Amino acid sequence: MKSFADPVRNYLSAVERESSALPADRRQELLADLAEHIEVTRTERPEATIGEILAELGDPRTIAATALAEAGTETPGTRAGGGGDGPARRGKVHPLVPLLMLTLSLPFTMIFNMGPDATFNPGPVFGFLFRVTGAVLLCTSVHWTAVQKTTGVLLTVVVPTTVIASWNVISGWAAGETQALLGNLGVLALMVGTAVWLWRTRRA
Amino acid sequence: MEPGDAGKQARAAAQLRKGVLEYCVLALMRDRPRYGVELLHALEESGALATSQGTVYPLLSRLRRDDLVTTTWQESDSGPPRRYYALTEGGRAALDEFAHVWPGFRDAVDAFLATPRTSNGESA
Repeated sequence: MKSFADPVRNYLSAVERESSALPADRRQELLADLAEHIEVTRTERPEATIGEILAELGDPRTIAATALAEAGTETPGTRAGGGGDGPARRGKVHPLVPLLMLTLSLPFTMIFNMGPDATFNPGPVFGFLFRVTGAVLLCTSVHWTAVQKTTGVLLTVVVPTTVIASWNVISGWAAGETQALLGNLGVLALMVGTAVWLWRTRRA
Repeated sequence: MEPGDAGKQARAAAQLRKGVLEYCVLALMRDRPRYGVELLHALEESGALATSQGTVYPLLSRLRRDDLVTTTWQESDSGPPRRYYALTEGGRAALDEFAHVWPGFRDAVDAFLATPRTSNGESA
């Protein structure tokens, strides 16, 4: 509805303008929080006017100033029980990215595998790159503890790579299609299971 | 009352609030996760801790970045999904620590405020 949307949009753009010194992700988060607040308050107190709701939220300048002050007082490692990962706590990659890269590396390898005789074999090459990148992103992410990261890398990279490599060596690339497929699916199930576990236990 | 008095009082209250607000917010999450509007209601009702509502969101954002709280989205029967805030172990530890030092702090301030002028250590 136009009558609601316009004051809200004006208000949020005022906050956006005033908080232009904030890093973009912080600014977007702040705007999303305020937008959610306005929506929730409107459903919980339908009798309140949009003007009242915005007045209670306060002056956009005050909110922006608080956000800037909070951004300035941040001292990584001194809070949250001290210690922590120090400078490594910079990774701002979405937690889905490493999980998808790790899990999809195997189907990618399977689908684009041209066999051992091909001069360029995109499946295994990119599958391997996906797996390495996924592992690095997982390890530098802020969303998991060191133990979770180690378990994740072990179950989605080390174990699958070892199993598949030794399978190939033992069978000498000569195993039946069905056997290979079953083996791959088994390993894939392990990787998907691990990825789901990591997704569920991640820190927001 | 002089024109500046109300402003000075407000500034004193704002200074005090700045120090304790985050622990009060953490305390509100002690028993169960809460969503933003819910937290603001509770602060509003307390009177002394009521603040310009929008300024609490940057605070919540910092608590999350400092790993004192985690957030999850939950669907609601009415209206949009709400972002729920819950204490982490670190948040609980910070809250316990504050709860531990606060009584001594409060008593010390009370003692200063209650001290009669005559017993200030100079000759009485």
